[in-house]
Amino acid sequence: MAALLKADYITLWRNRRANMLALLMPLIIVFSWKGLIPRTGGAFVLANGITLGIIAIGLMGYANAVARDRDKGVFQRLRVSPLPLWTIMVSRLLVQLSLISLLTIVVFVSGYQLDHIVMPVSGYVTAFFVSLIGGALYLSLGQAVVGGIKNPETVNSTSRLIYLVFIMTGMLGQFDYFGEEFKKAVVWSPYGTVKEILATGLEPAKWSAHTTQALLVTIGYTIVFATLGIKWFKWSSK
Amino acid sequence: MDIKQQHILQVNNLDVFYGNFQAVKDVSFHVMQGEIFGLLGPNGAGKTSTLSAIEGLIKQQSGTVTVAGYDTLQKPLYARAAMGVQLQSTSFQPELNVSEILQLYSSIYGLGLSKEKLQVLLKEINLADAENKKFGQLSGGQQQRVSLAITTIHDPRLVLLDEPTSGLDPQSRRQLWSRIENIREKGNGVVLTTHSMEEAEAVCDRISIIDHGRIIATGTPQSLIDKHRADPEVIAVSRRGKITLEDVFIALTGTAIRA
Repeated sequence: MAALLKADYITLWRNRRANMLALLMPLIIVFSWKGLIPRTGGAFVLANGITLGIIAIGLMGYANAVARDRDKGVFQRLRVSPLPLWTIMVSRLLVQLSLISLLTIVVFVSGYQLDHIVMPVSGYVTAFFVSLIGGALYLSLGQAVVGGIKNPETVNSTSRLIYLVFIMTGMLGQFDYFGEEFKKAVVWSPYGTVKEILATGLEPAKWSAHTTQALLVTIGYTIVFATLGIKWFKWSSK
Repeated sequence: MDIKQQHILQVNNLDVFYGNFQAVKDVSFHVMQGEIFGLLGPNGAGKTSTLSAIEGLIKQQSGTVTVAGYDTLQKPLYARAAMGVQLQSTSFQPELNVSEILQLYSSIYGLGLSKEKLQVLLKEINLADAENKKFGQLSGGQQQRVSLAITTIHDPRLVLLDEPTSGLDPQSRRQLWSRIENIREKGNGVVLTTHSMEEAEAVCDRISIIDHGRIIATGTPQSLIDKHRADPEVIAVSRRGKITLEDVFIALTGTAIRA
């Protein structure tokens, strides 16, 4: 497991340019939504930035890397070695969760540097751990995509499409552009629940029954997507 | 020594299905210590499916596979630790270079690979200058050498090679056979598939010919030639006046080109 983790971290490092792109969108949000802070609060901006970042990592980074390696036969080579199968995926997921941790910290720091957003220490700590829960949701969604689709190009286009849909509905839906009903639906979407637990996590004093429900729904989504992703997953694309 | 203890690989009544299609039908064979065993057959005959079941990549519907005494279904990790596998098309993480790949797999097999040992290994496979190259940047022959080095890095009791010489130039092929001979000399067993009858005849101690999922002949190359030399089908397909393993193979499996 340690050897696999080392190899997966090397892979992450060698793909650092692509990973920087996953950090770009959250930074754009933090920078461009500065004007919203007086109306929505700093937690709202940081939560949206982190949510978009973890969607990019889980959907596009993880799913595409798994689809590519599966197509090349990397998994088959590992499967004929004396490794328990679960270690192959757990190693990759741990590396992605590390990237999500890095993303969260980068958003916190850039929020402070660019927008002068300051949250209580307990808020940063809570939001940090909550971002891992949100990350797990999108990694499980990525697993479901790569489980349901074998072709790496189709995985790529599907994950991009889902990413776009999540950005459009998640970000714009919460601003009343599509009406009240749509706004309510977005609240309970994977985007909405993760954004809710992150925003409230940054301000733990505001934690409410609604936030707990959002947390439970997030965990529920994760279980459903992970179950489908594991059930559907094939180690070879052939 | 009990004869069973000399069997590095024992395959009994193996059946493999893909949905409703039965790719492997009641296949049984064994491989002894220090033996090179060839599994020959036309495209789609069931060679790779048989190897995949031994390797644990697909699960057989019935039958048993025992590697170095370990049942592959009951003790899969022990069985896989006892075997080295070279797949037909294999790849490694494209971001890793040759030395990182070798270190990864040596660690997976619980071996320490110091810098000195790594250099020795790289020299052995004539890749001392390519240690920092990514796997995808290597030539076909170099990739094959890395792949075989990983296959044998833990000195496995059983080595499984799926069309190992496919796409190699004569020099690389000669070197590969030399390495396979070394494996045999250590007393380890080798199972290989190949489409080259000349190679099988020259290298394999015993072969099985498989077609439509069934083993239709087993023996030493010479014994199969001797057994079938008088068959009218063999004589009919013979082109050189001298009966070869290829003649026997074509006579047994037919002249129709497979998909």
